[in-house]
Amino acid sequence: MRLILFLHLLGILYTTWALNAQPVNDFFERNAAPGASKHTNNWAVLVCASRYWFNYRHMANALGMYRTVKRLGIPDSNIILMLADDVSCNMRNKFPGSVYANPGRHLDLYGDNIEVDYRGYEVTVENFIRLLTGRVDPSVPRSKRLLTDENSNVFVYMTGHGGNEFLKFQDNEEISAFDIADAFEQMYQKKRYNEIFFMIDTCQANTMYTKFYSPNILATGSSLLGENSYSYANDNDLGVAVIDAYTHYVLQYMEGINKTSQLTMQDLFNTYDPAKINSHPGVRSDLFQRPLNTALITDFFGGVSQVEVASPDDSEDDEQDFVSLW
Amino acid sequence: MSSSLKEPSALFYQSKAVKRGIIFSYWTLILLAVPLWWHTTSIQRLSLPESRINSRAQEHLELPVSLCVADVEIKSSLQSFLDAKARDDSGHWWGVKSRVYSRNDCPTTSSYLVRDSQTTIVRRNEIHLPLSNFPDAFETLANLINPPLKTNHNNRVVQYSRQYRLAFTLLNEDASAGSSVSNWDVRAGLVSRIQPILHKLEPLHNFTIESQVQFNGRLAFQPQENSDGSYGVTPEDLTVFINSAEWSLSSSVSNDPVLHFVLFIPSALRRPLHILSPDGQISRSRSFLLPQWGGIVIYNPPTDDTGKNTNLPSETNEQIFKEFSKELLSLLGVPMLPNGVKRHISEAANLSDWQIDALMRRRTAENVKNTQETLTSIVKLVNQIDNMPVKEDVRDDVQGALEALEQSHSARSLGEAFRYSAQATTLSSRAFFNPGMLALLYFPAEHKYAVYTPLFASAVIPLLIAALKEIVAWKKERRASVKDSSSTTDSNP
Repeated sequence: MRLILFLHLLGILYTTWALNAQPVNDFFERNAAPGASKHTNNWAVLVCASRYWFNYRHMANALGMYRTVKRLGIPDSNIILMLADDVSCNMRNKFPGSVYANPGRHLDLYGDNIEVDYRGYEVTVENFIRLLTGRVDPSVPRSKRLLTDENSNVFVYMTGHGGNEFLKFQDNEEISAFDIADAFEQMYQKKRYNEIFFMIDTCQANTMYTKFYSPNILATGSSLLGENSYSYANDNDLGVAVIDAYTHYVLQYMEGINKTSQLTMQDLFNTYDPAKINSHPGVRSDLFQRPLNTALITDFFGGVSQVEVASPDDSEDDEQDFVSLW
Repeated sequence: MSSSLKEPSALFYQSKAVKRGIIFSYWTLILLAVPLWWHTTSIQRLSLPESRINSRAQEHLELPVSLCVADVEIKSSLQSFLDAKARDDSGHWWGVKSRVYSRNDCPTTSSYLVRDSQTTIVRRNEIHLPLSNFPDAFETLANLINPPLKTNHNNRVVQYSRQYRLAFTLLNEDASAGSSVSNWDVRAGLVSRIQPILHKLEPLHNFTIESQVQFNGRLAFQPQENSDGSYGVTPEDLTVFINSAEWSLSSSVSNDPVLHFVLFIPSALRRPLHILSPDGQISRSRSFLLPQWGGIVIYNPPTDDTGKNTNLPSETNEQIFKEFSKELLSLLGVPMLPNGVKRHISEAANLSDWQIDALMRRRTAENVKNTQETLTSIVKLVNQIDNMPVKEDVRDDVQGALEALEQSHSARSLGEAFRYSAQATTLSSRAFFNPGMLALLYFPAEHKYAVYTPLFASAVIPLLIAALKEIVAWKKERRASVKDSSSTTDSNP
């Protein structure tokens, strides 16, 4: 009889414990919803491949993306910014130390907290490929390395002047679509990413992602084969075009997104309007294994999405684990 | 006038022999240079031991787990129970091979003693448990040998590295609001709670520790105000709690992975700050974990009317570091003891050898798998990408990794197997990431023609024409001389 009572008591105790544990479990399950990304860290590689003052807009494109991913929670240590030419310090810049992305110069993209990891002549095809594949010299510092693993979501943004299946680096060399595809394959083979989101704003941009063959890559570009990508607007005081149309509209959409936004990649792609952008943006999702309407924008533009709250029972004293018997 | 213009054939360099000599030497030089040119522009691609890699990649690791029991009946039933376990979940039991011995022929080294007892207690390599309690006791034993992976937490554990950096930060949200914590006894906390763990984990990892106190660490969001005047962080806000744009939580002196531990002191204006559960209730928990990144503890010190800053009370300090130690254990993947298993009082550090061994087995299996995958990837990529160089250092690292892999398979003890597996994975990664393995950029054939034609055509065409001219001239001469000689023979019959 006593034994039965005792067992009942145990049962009740267990139920209370299980009830207590419920919210925590619910929390985990909600985070593990089907289609949710299983990454634990986010990285961004932002490349502006062209130099010279008249390519001001490409610097502004990259810096605009930099500002967005930083605002959405990717730490500077996880952002690799490659800026070929530093227009903010250019002699011809009427507003030294600043880079603006709109004709009214409302928002200084350069600000006071910018970490350019590869600048000037360091922005080369070789360095870019080395960065992606991880084949860097042992002396290369942490800030110039892509220290990703199989739980990393990587956002790769490129901008510059390009053509059919190539992108120019600093008017000096070219990277081809094959090179990027091979670099991604090498990353895949070494499990250096969970998912990649590749975005490119250049002329004939959509040709750049046609050669990809590794899984879990989502790609988008600004214009079709044979089509130019155009700038958005000029600033009369600066005397140059300040941003490209495609990047401008993407960034404009991103301004409405915060860290906890539930909007998806599909929502972003739905906003593409060829009439406004003046070219036909493309999306390639055949390598991507999740439906686009479950892939959150913050899966690539934001910081981590998973948190585990310690169960309160953990904080109880564990001295009881120590039992004297011998 | 006419005396200054010599007859061309009278110039010494227009003499036939010299002219032909010059053209001939040009061509010899070019032909001799071809092999050199070929050699300098070709990519060195040493052959890798492909068949050996392929056979090693298929191989199953078998880390022996020897259990010794007194009872013969239990021996056979335990053995079949463990075999069934390994069969049912072969992925999880990959690399672990349990064998049960009777007490008499128990292996002397690295074996576990299983004794019958009323309570379940582990001590060094022994376990006391009620063996008569059939499936439960065996289940406990299986979980102890190979702890189950919690599905929700499978990517919480950091990737294996020999070296980690632990960064401890006492972070005041806003010390200027008063009643902040100006210092903590990090040394005492480390000594009592962290060091014993690090000491136990010495065979697996090395650690460096850094700590700092910060006085202004603003949150990037606004905590929600609760009805009782306290403040709350919703689960969504927790994911963005770390304000990485503004907080610098670790130095970047080395490339070692960093584990962060943050004690967050909310501003006096927003206290107490609680973690909220998804239904908006105040959670009793005050700490949370970011997988593979680190742990955060929120502590609300009593608000002093005078706004005096205080040091962290030693008792609280101790509790905080206890929570850090738990977070450290789960980040490093140290398994918990199964429910109901107790440690013996004599185990000074709060980790049992069973836990360390289980972790070591898992890390060894991980390393071996990782090495196998990396080596097959190298072979695959080298075959797939034609212009990827393979030099001596890559080949040596691949061979070194293979040898370490083989030694890991034939190791006598778990510790040795682990050490070789770690070496194998380091070498295979180094081979994969060798800076010399950078493939040449892709150049379509038309690019090659476009580059080489202007360069070589201008140099080669005059040479070619000169050579052809001379050959034609030489042929003509020969024909003429043959005619001449035939005519002379005719005239002198």
